[in-house]
Amino acid sequence: MKSSRRCAPLSELTPSVPASSIIEDLEDLYENAPCGYLSLEPGGRIFKVNKTLCNWTGYGPEELLGKRLHHLLNIAGRMFYETHIAPLLRMQGFFHEVALDLVTAKGDLLPMIVNAAERRDSEGKPISTRITFLRATERRRYERELLDARDQSRSQEAAARASLTSERETSELREQFIAVLGHDLRNPLASISAGARILLRKPKDETETKVLQMMETTVLRMAGLIDNVLDFARGRLGGGITLSRNADTSIEPVLQQVVDELRTAMPDRRIESDFRITQPINCDRTRLGQLVSNLLGNALTHGAPDKPVLVRALTDNGMFELSVSNAGEPISAEAMEHLFQPFFRGRVRASLQGLGLGLHIASEIARAHEGTLTVKSDSEETRFTFLMPLRI
Amino acid sequence: MNVSARNNVRINGSGEKAMVFAHGFGCDQNMWRFVEPAFRNSFRTVLFDHVGAGGSDLSKYDPVKYGSLSGYADDLIEIGRELDLKDAVFVGHSVSAMIGILASLKAPGLFSSLVLVGPSARYIDDGDYRGGFSANQIEELLEFLEANHMGWSAQMAPAIMGNADRPELGEELTNSFCRTDPDIAKHFARVTFTSDNRDDLAKVTTPTLVLQCSEDIIASTEVGEYVQRRIPGSKLVILNATGHCPNLSAPDEVIAAMRAFV
Repeated sequence: MKSSRRCAPLSELTPSVPASSIIEDLEDLYENAPCGYLSLEPGGRIFKVNKTLCNWTGYGPEELLGKRLHHLLNIAGRMFYETHIAPLLRMQGFFHEVALDLVTAKGDLLPMIVNAAERRDSEGKPISTRITFLRATERRRYERELLDARDQSRSQEAAARASLTSERETSELREQFIAVLGHDLRNPLASISAGARILLRKPKDETETKVLQMMETTVLRMAGLIDNVLDFARGRLGGGITLSRNADTSIEPVLQQVVDELRTAMPDRRIESDFRITQPINCDRTRLGQLVSNLLGNALTHGAPDKPVLVRALTDNGMFELSVSNAGEPISAEAMEHLFQPFFRGRVRASLQGLGLGLHIASEIARAHEGTLTVKSDSEETRFTFLMPLRI
Repeated sequence: MNVSARNNVRINGSGEKAMVFAHGFGCDQNMWRFVEPAFRNSFRTVLFDHVGAGGSDLSKYDPVKYGSLSGYADDLIEIGRELDLKDAVFVGHSVSAMIGILASLKAPGLFSSLVLVGPSARYIDDGDYRGGFSANQIEELLEFLEANHMGWSAQMAPAIMGNADRPELGEELTNSFCRTDPDIAKHFARVTFTSDNRDDLAKVTTPTLVLQCSEDIIASTEVGEYVQRRIPGSKLVILNATGHCPNLSAPDEVIAAMRAFV
């Protein structure tokens, strides 16, 4: 295949012009070649130079003959010549594609690409060195731009990497902070709660009972707030809500415990429950406990105090449905829009004001279970419904 | 750590005494190809590449360690230890002259004599001291080196490195003797040309020969004379050879001067 692509002889390509009629004027080729020529004695002195190079540099031949190549180089070029080019010439007998700047008679720099070859005798001793110069202004400019672009991207990369590292460190610090904070906040709360329970078991008057019950409520609310705050912080910092699902253990005792806790804490309120769970639910039990606790807390805060709050949970049609409903003022259309956004707080009295994270976290827990949390609110009742598929 | 591989150490010749050749800034151990064979009859000759040059292990290039000539001197001492060298002759070209001096001061007994070819204790002028260059000119050189990659490309590196023997020069390996990673070349140039070892000269106790070229723009005769004057008991030979690399341009003259000394 390759042989058929070989170039045809010149005579075949140009039959009308006999090859013999074209005679190259070698003297003119040397003097006026489209490149500069220069020859050095073994001692490094210039003994021949062509017109092209003279024209480019602005020197007459008589000004260059007998001089060293250094005469046409700046200091950097001379140093480079001495440390790289001269040794290369002696070692390999030639060099190719070296970038040099020639200094003109006027002092301007002329970027060049330079090739050179030593002419040696039969013993390998140098007779002369022939050097060819090609102008390379555009090419050098382009190379300069490439180098600049590379340097710029390197420094940008370094900066980005540095900021990423510091961001990672900060984020790690935050994670640790959240973990420590959670631990430190929960522990004292647990001891208050334990203390209140011990006192509740002892005989006491009505006021004392009330105070202790209030303490229980507050502790419960406080624990819920801490959970929500920590979850929110984690979610915002990239950790998200993580689940540890378990389909083998029933969810019902968890729901019952949440209801019982709130009943104990708020004996004045009626909380009715209706659990009809007949199938295993592949869910994070602690998280669903948190969800129902948030919804229930919300209903008790905003619902009519004299009406019961109803917690319902059932499995049906391959779905798990959990709802919390209360009577009372319906949620306004305006509030409806922002209900699940963090830090949204409905209008209640200051002592009951939360952080506005409860419904947000509940909806995030729902989302993590590939489920939904929706709300329906009218003058009859306000109902939050969590719905999740059983088989995921 | 394998020092011999790191520094691409090559050993030739036979003899009780060793002669260690160290190349300067720019190329590699091939700088000695016309001089070293002349000493194989009477010496065990040791050639090596500084880390970053020639066939050395580029992965060992540590900008901190090689941020001063002292790091290179440590390598030289390690080579000496690995080869169990004692009272060797050290032959250092250009910047390696100072590297050899530093090694001789750090490891007494390693070298019994020093041959310094084209040495300079400081390249940049300083008050009355004439090193030959201004600080600006050195900066120009560093910029210049960036433009002159000598055909270096990251893709070529394995071919160059895997060819430490270089039996024949393929077209691929054109310029390879003097080809270095441009970043390393620039760093070595900075370390070399901003070094100042004038205070170390007077501490030298090893017999020393300074070989000085005529018309050397890197290390002028004045600089060579300064080095000789400061090293107690040292000798100076001014060569007829011109330029900075008499080991390549006038090997016979260099060999003769060295023979007369060792």
